[in-house]
Amino acid sequence: MRLRSDPRGTVERAIGLVVLVALAVGPAIFNDYWVNTILTQMLIFGIAAASLIFLSAYGAMTSLAQTALMGISAYLLGNMVTQGGAGGESKGLTLGWDPTLGLVLAVVLTTAIGVAFGAVAARSFGIYFLMLTLTYGVIANYFFGQVTQFGGFSPIAGVDRYTPGFIGKIVGHPDKLYYIAFGVALAVYLAIRYLIRTPFGLSLQGVRDDPVRMSSLGYNVPLHRALAFGFASFVAALSGVLFVWWQGQIAPGNIGLASTIELLVMAVIGGLTRIEGAWVGAFAFIVINNYVRDVELPLVGGSFNTIIGLIFLVIVIVSPDGLMGIWDRLWRSLGGRGGGTPDSASVTRQAAPEASIP
Amino acid sequence: MKNVRSWKLLLPLAGLAAVASIWVSGAFAGAQATNVIKVAIMTDCKGAFAFGYEFDSGGAQAAFAQYAGGKVKNKNKPSAGMTGIKIGNKSVQIVGYGCGDDTVPTAVKETRRLMEQLKADVMIGPLSGDEAVSVANYAKSHPTKTFIIGTAGSQDPTLQIAPKNVFRYHGDGAQWNAGLGEILYKKLGWRKAAIMMDDYSFGWTSGAGIIADFCAIGGQITKRVFPPLNNTDYAPFVRQLPRPGTVDGYIWVIGGTGTASSLKAFEQAYGKIDPKQHAGNLFFAFLGADKVVGPKVVGTYVGGFGTGPGLKTAQAKAYEAVMKKWYPKLPAGDGFVYNYYNAAWALIRALKANGGQVGAALQRAMPRTNKSGYEVSDGGVVKLDSRRQAIQDQYPLQVVRNPDGSVGTKIVGYVPNVDQSFGGLFKPSSPAPGRSQPKCVKKKLPWQGKIREVRNGVITKSVIK
Repeated sequence: MRLRSDPRGTVERAIGLVVLVALAVGPAIFNDYWVNTILTQMLIFGIAAASLIFLSAYGAMTSLAQTALMGISAYLLGNMVTQGGAGGESKGLTLGWDPTLGLVLAVVLTTAIGVAFGAVAARSFGIYFLMLTLTYGVIANYFFGQVTQFGGFSPIAGVDRYTPGFIGKIVGHPDKLYYIAFGVALAVYLAIRYLIRTPFGLSLQGVRDDPVRMSSLGYNVPLHRALAFGFASFVAALSGVLFVWWQGQIAPGNIGLASTIELLVMAVIGGLTRIEGAWVGAFAFIVINNYVRDVELPLVGGSFNTIIGLIFLVIVIVSPDGLMGIWDRLWRSLGGRGGGTPDSASVTRQAAPEASIP
Repeated sequence: MKNVRSWKLLLPLAGLAAVASIWVSGAFAGAQATNVIKVAIMTDCKGAFAFGYEFDSGGAQAAFAQYAGGKVKNKNKPSAGMTGIKIGNKSVQIVGYGCGDDTVPTAVKETRRLMEQLKADVMIGPLSGDEAVSVANYAKSHPTKTFIIGTAGSQDPTLQIAPKNVFRYHGDGAQWNAGLGEILYKKLGWRKAAIMMDDYSFGWTSGAGIIADFCAIGGQITKRVFPPLNNTDYAPFVRQLPRPGTVDGYIWVIGGTGTASSLKAFEQAYGKIDPKQHAGNLFFAFLGADKVVGPKVVGTYVGGFGTGPGLKTAQAKAYEAVMKKWYPKLPAGDGFVYNYYNAAWALIRALKANGGQVGAALQRAMPRTNKSGYEVSDGGVVKLDSRRQAIQDQYPLQVVRNPDGSVGTKIVGYVPNVDQSFGGLFKPSSPAPGRSQPKCVKKKLPWQGKIREVRNGVITKSVIK
């Protein structure tokens, strides 16, 4: 069998392999803070950003509901598994259910909620889809913030102390959570790569490119979009579970507008064109957010939010396709060919709002 | 290759290189010095309590300056930092100032940054209620680190959660209001009241103190209304209150800009505010700054902040002199300053006692008493209970007009030795304060009938009747 010459693909696979190996031996080479905070957080938010990029790149659906779905899953888990009483937790339902059952229910229920969200939003396109998903996010934020039985403004805490038996304790064993997040991130990446090559994935890309034509050909466009949203919700639910294990607690602020925008920024920085961009963007966002805090600039002073905003502004202006787009251009400018990002056109070519789906 | 020179490519590459260099420097940090004790000060620099940033930093650093040789960099700007803190042969380094915004996610993020990235051994902070709930939960998972709560008022951190590495040398929000209910009952003759309180940990805890105190002496709370935190339109919530005439008074536990807004909404709905029909928690004490609402509430009784501004005791004057020496512009009687000062002072005493050891050794050495400035009972000593929570004197206030025409507060009562449990009403196994907690029950509180009048800053022998 003769392999097709694809130098760029070879380089990318080599880089990917190096990154994978580095991550696999992360705890041996990085210090504790980097492993437990920077990298674990990058893996978790990368999963959530991947759900957003999947919808955007392959479904032309830029969703602002992914943070909310992440939070719903975290809230469900927190309410179901924590226990009240002396020495227990003080907020939420504190049902004290088995953590394995809680884990399964949190992911399944969040996915079901996502399918329902998707079904409602499936006939909306472009800015209308964006607004509708933003509404989901706002509803989730207010629901958990104001329905005090589910937590209210205060955090549902101590969730990291209630992990399933097959995982064991993660409190005091942060490397364990790192490797779980690493494994889930890898599985999510491979699952998305697989899904987009299945008949469903290919028809979803057809829906992305021309929903009217796909509808004319007999494809159920709203169903494809709703199912894609459901799958992205499943991925977001996984990141929500990991997030609440990592942070130990969940509060409305974690699913507020600022957090919603942060996830979008991660995806945009990484590049809305390729799934890998999710983790690249999450990494850049978290590192910048973390280290710029101690920087002082003339005029701006120590206002790190302003500095962070300026950095992100520069990235987006310089490369609308994010950091992955910079790689594309770097490769092309070096005279390279092959590979490419077949999906990149889709990002700026969102399905027309006026498209009418029967 | 000419495209490589494009600024659009070089700029991001430069940025990436910068990020990479930060990464390398941060990711592979070297060995830690062992003779340095690392302390973090966690406060708010954003959100409703952003003003607390300098107050909290200054309060803590004044203690380091007074008792551990710290050198103030800027007397007018505490956050400029401090050098030269020594305890025995070990130096103390303030590794960072946490910048919270009154929300849980930021509190957790900042706590991680301070404790894990900057590797602090001890945290003094945080500032507010839900932040303290999240920090206490963080502390539970990090038993080798020590946390001394700055000035947060939620009950949970030291009653329901209560990890062994969390200490609080001041009262919680409920304790701060001890005595207020009895004053309303006895001095204003209230029997039935309605309460409006912010729908979050501090609002609930603060309201719980007033409810418990008022009900314990025989009062009834006929209605509880809960506007969401940071609400701006209080008209719908005011309309949920019973009409004037059906209750003797209204209790307000609304923070930030909501304090004045809610009173304005009440005035629009039910007419002129009668100070004898209104009372509030510590946020009422800040109304003096509101030129419109402030004068209308002159005469109202207000819960305290665990401090005794204007108290004329030698111990109080000594504390105020220390603050004036190091940070002359900070208000010594403010709870933000006072509580952070006492937290740092207790830490210094523990480090001196155990030769600068941190971790479990420090937690064992943390003092169970502290001679805080405004304490009077038991020779002026605040005591910690078995869950490392302060048992502290409280001072209910009254809004008054100052000689210069401005609106301020004065101390009207002295409530001795207020404990967190309110004589057993609040228990580790009972639900944390919430919308329906605590119930309104008549009960004998330890300080009931023992609240002494304070006149001109002097505690008299006469009991409030």
